Amino acid sequence: MLATTFKWFTGIWLALVSLAMFLWVPAHEGLGNVGRIVIVHVPTGWLTSVAFLFSAIYSWRYLRNGRARDDALALAAAELGLIFSILATVTGSMFAKVVWGTYWNWDPRETAIAALMLIYAAYFALRTSIEDRQRQRYLGSIYALLAFVAVPFLIFVIPRVTDDTLHPNCAILNTPNCQGIQLTENGRIIGTIEDFKVELLGIEQQADLTVATVSILSNGTNYTLKPSFNRVSNKPEAIERLPETLRDVQIKRLSGEPGNQTVEIAIANTGNIGLLTEQRTLLTFFASLFGFTLLFFWLWWLRADVLDINEQLVQQGMTI
Amino acid sequence: MAKPTLWQAAWAVAYKDLQIELRTRYALNAMALFAVTTAVMVSFRLGPLGLSRDPRSAATLAVLLWIAIFFAAMNGLARTFVREEEAHTATLLRLNVPALAVYLGKLLVNLLILALLETLVTLLFIGLLNVTITKVGLFLATLSLGGVALAGATTILATLVAKADGKGSLFTILAFPLVLPLLIIAVETTELALSGGTWGSAGSGLQLLAAYTIAEHVAALWLFERVWEA
Repeated sequence: MLATTFKWFTGIWLALVSLAMFLWVPAHEGLGNVGRIVIVHVPTGWLTSVAFLFSAIYSWRYLRNGRARDDALALAAAELGLIFSILATVTGSMFAKVVWGTYWNWDPRETAIAALMLIYAAYFALRTSIEDRQRQRYLGSIYALLAFVAVPFLIFVIPRVTDDTLHPNCAILNTPNCQGIQLTENGRIIGTIEDFKVELLGIEQQADLTVATVSILSNGTNYTLKPSFNRVSNKPEAIERLPETLRDVQIKRLSGEPGNQTVEIAIANTGNIGLLTEQRTLLTFFASLFGFTLLFFWLWWLRADVLDINEQLVQQGMTI
Repeated sequence: MAKPTLWQAAWAVAYKDLQIELRTRYALNAMALFAVTTAVMVSFRLGPLGLSRDPRSAATLAVLLWIAIFFAAMNGLARTFVREEEAHTATLLRLNVPALAVYLGKLLVNLLILALLETLVTLLFIGLLNVTITKVGLFLATLSLGGVALAGATTILATLVAKADGKGSLFTILAFPLVLPLLIIAVETTELALSGGTWGSAGSGLQLLAAYTIAEHVAALWLFERVWEA
């Protein structure tokens, strides 16, 4: 009874979210209609990571206590992880084609999800190659744990491959990284804003103005810009557009003596790029996240039960 | 007879495996031939000077070098464990030697094989593709750290694969996602070493590689006994 209610609730909830996504949520100012995809794309992406975590946790539990149920949960989580990673990749690729003009470009997060898919594929390949069920569970769990050790390194490694991400991170959440960075002439001269690498090349004084020469890596190209700051009015003077983007580069604040000055460089989004700053979008997004989470847990337990029953049938078949 | 210490036991396992390997040279031959084929194929079409004239040659050569090392290693590293299972000597080994000693012994053999392989691949690349290593120290550091990391991640996988029924073909599939971080950094630092990058520019990469190596070795030491007894 409870399960049936839960099932219907999840179904109706997700149906409402789908309707809201197209009918209630306004089109995004910068990204247009394609911005709606965040409602599906981000929750499925998050659940992929959640599934991977659960798979590792239950694999570890299985290795500790040897209960078949724990392994069934680990396997079910991995299967769902694969499904959700495919959903996230397909929705992401659609978005990428429309906005960036390419289905795939080895963006850091695309690389991470591709690695996750490879891990799942390897995990299933390993399991299906073993006939003895006990050994299948045992070795599968060990592989899941080994993979779990390797994956965090990808998070640190991947940003090295591409200096730039096309993911509209700051369009979704405004983290401190989206605000600006302080660079000092004789101190820290390299930093990142959003996912742009920023390097301070020099600072010079021109009358009332302080002009900073900065090199910004965007889309694989280094652009040299010269934003300036008016010391008299204490306000940014020249605001420079980062070529081929909707971003403006400016000096937000200035401190220190000439020769050892600190400039705070900010890359502002022109227009309202914040997807989730819009209230209806935010509400629908959380509703979607909630709905997909329900769906995930429902499918997870259902699949684990099926695996359990399957196991019992096999064992009965053996004893008969 | 006194019970051998852990290191004596590990050394005995390694010595036995090396002797068997030198008798048949199965793994060594497979790996060497793969390395030779890769280098010859590239050199054959592009000519010994073809690549080095390319402005992006450092990146291309670094990728090719690690393709040769990784896939050649995949050809041979699983051998020592698969052999134990095929010859049904695993149980005997399990009864007589502690799991840790088996792991350390096999790790030692794999490290040695990898050192040989990396030397061979490097020499082939110098000879056939006209690679100039600008920063020898950095290059050697990358190769040795990369080798230790590769051995750490793959020795336990080799045990796993030996227990599975798929054997050979599974090894590469299982290893690739796990060693992806290692390959990415190794290619990056090798490129720096070939194009004359500084230790400073390679520093963070090498640190990350060292951290990865430690994490993989710790995980392998922790999980090995469970795989071996499975």
